[in-house]
Amino acid sequence: MSFDINTIIYLLEIIVGGLLVGVGVHFVPVGGAPAAMAQATGIGTGTVQLAAGSGLTGLLSAGLMMSVTDNIWPILATGAVGAMIMMDATMLTGSWIYAYAVGAPFASAKVNYDPITKFSQPPYVAPGTVGQGIPTVCYVSGTIGAAMGGIGGALIYYPLVQINGNPAMSAVFAVGIFMVDAVLASWNIQGTIEGFHDPKFKKWPKAFKSCLVATIILAVVAVLITPIGGV
Amino acid sequence: MDAFGMGLVAAMGALATVAGASEDIESDIGSQSNPNSQVQLAAQVGNPHRIYNKAIAGEPPSNALWCTTAAIMAYVLIEGYHMPLLFAVAVGASLAALFNGVMATSAYLGRNASQARFNQWIYLDIIRYTTPSIMAHVWITSFCITLISTIQVYVLTPHHPFPIPVIALIWGLTVGAIGSSVGDIHYGGEREFQWRLFGQGLNTMLSGQIVRKAEAGLRNSIDNAWFCAKFGGPCTGMGFGLTVFLDNWRTTVFDPVTHAGAAIAMGLFFVIVMNLYNFYCELSARRKYGPYPGYKGDIAA
Repeated sequence: MSFDINTIIYLLEIIVGGLLVGVGVHFVPVGGAPAAMAQATGIGTGTVQLAAGSGLTGLLSAGLMMSVTDNIWPILATGAVGAMIMMDATMLTGSWIYAYAVGAPFASAKVNYDPITKFSQPPYVAPGTVGQGIPTVCYVSGTIGAAMGGIGGALIYYPLVQINGNPAMSAVFAVGIFMVDAVLASWNIQGTIEGFHDPKFKKWPKAFKSCLVATIILAVVAVLITPIGGV
Repeated sequence: MDAFGMGLVAAMGALATVAGASEDIESDIGSQSNPNSQVQLAAQVGNPHRIYNKAIAGEPPSNALWCTTAAIMAYVLIEGYHMPLLFAVAVGASLAALFNGVMATSAYLGRNASQARFNQWIYLDIIRYTTPSIMAHVWITSFCITLISTIQVYVLTPHHPFPIPVIALIWGLTVGAIGSSVGDIHYGGEREFQWRLFGQGLNTMLSGQIVRKAEAGLRNSIDNAWFCAKFGGPCTGMGFGLTVFLDNWRTTVFDPVTHAGAAIAMGLFFVIVMNLYNFYCELSARRKYGPYPGYKGDIAA
């Protein structure tokens, strides 16, 4: 391949995509295994797994859109929407179980009042737990995180297809870069976070820097690789 | 929009619902993912049990593995040997189930053998009649997801540019993420701790104190599947079904070439509706259950 101004633009797109994924993970309210036992607020799974699940669903949507258009904006928007649909469907059905099976009212242990609904939280936190369920602020935060993840995934995928013209290889590379950034961000929040209202959220600049370094290296490798034998 | 496309999207939604439900029940039978921490802990705090204990990996990577294995087999049979589509997908799913059976058995043996010092036994009868049940559910999950991928690539217009195994990998990750986020709560939060007070999260002090007795005799993982199939499984299916259906519905009804904006706007509409619905769930749970009677703080409920 030839190295020109377009290559620099592609590199920048991949880097911005990686950074969006890294920061977006901080918005996703994950409580890990304790949340699955209604012991902590948030979604009962791991950060990377959920971010990957939503971001890659967005990647599927973006890939479909990119097969019919080259305009970047609808591709990014549809990636974001696909990811948001997955995340919201997951959180909504999870809420059904918290509300109607476990029978626990939703409460955050990190704030006294929900910043969006202004509902009081501590009276609803069960003893021996750090909150349970998915309050509105967590839900909205998760939706924002999914949108960022979806845009990030699409922004990594878009330049790769422009470079090598191979959707399959680009998708696998996008999955790989997505995972690296999601894992880095997950270490930064130590596995659990409630959303943008959580004090841990203030640590995002650290993840930003580490994702920047990691994505620059990955982006350089990614733009240099072209498919062999026109697979 | 054409009627055939809509029918296909509906079929994909139905397949996804079945895949989600079977995925969750598979993880409940094997005590995979988050609730596995309690099953693992139980023996260590003096509660040996007869519950199947496998954690091959987190649910998303392990399901991605099963679905990709099935999809690769199906892809090879379809492209290389020109086999009928349904037959190829069924053979692929069978291969994934066999892989799963091997790993589930070794995971059960390994985990329980390592807990011998806590008086946890390896029950051969549990391996004999629970492992086929796990494999059967993996078969259903990987069959449905490979079929969804196949439909997206070969039948639904516009055809998806990714190859079948990559789509199956992504849907496998997604179904695992949903099963881990949704269905696990029913198993971990409700079924494992049925004797705690209803209407509260699990107190940390009760960790590892899982229910070990059934309606008759000792509880095993088939009992857990029976319970979780009533709500946790269907909810997971609903979550995955909604994801697959809504995401594909909007690009089928609105042509992405000419009406890309409408397809995106329709997706945003779904997102807003789901946000409002969650607010309703929160509101109704707060009204129904109320604050905890023992709360002694100074913040009004």
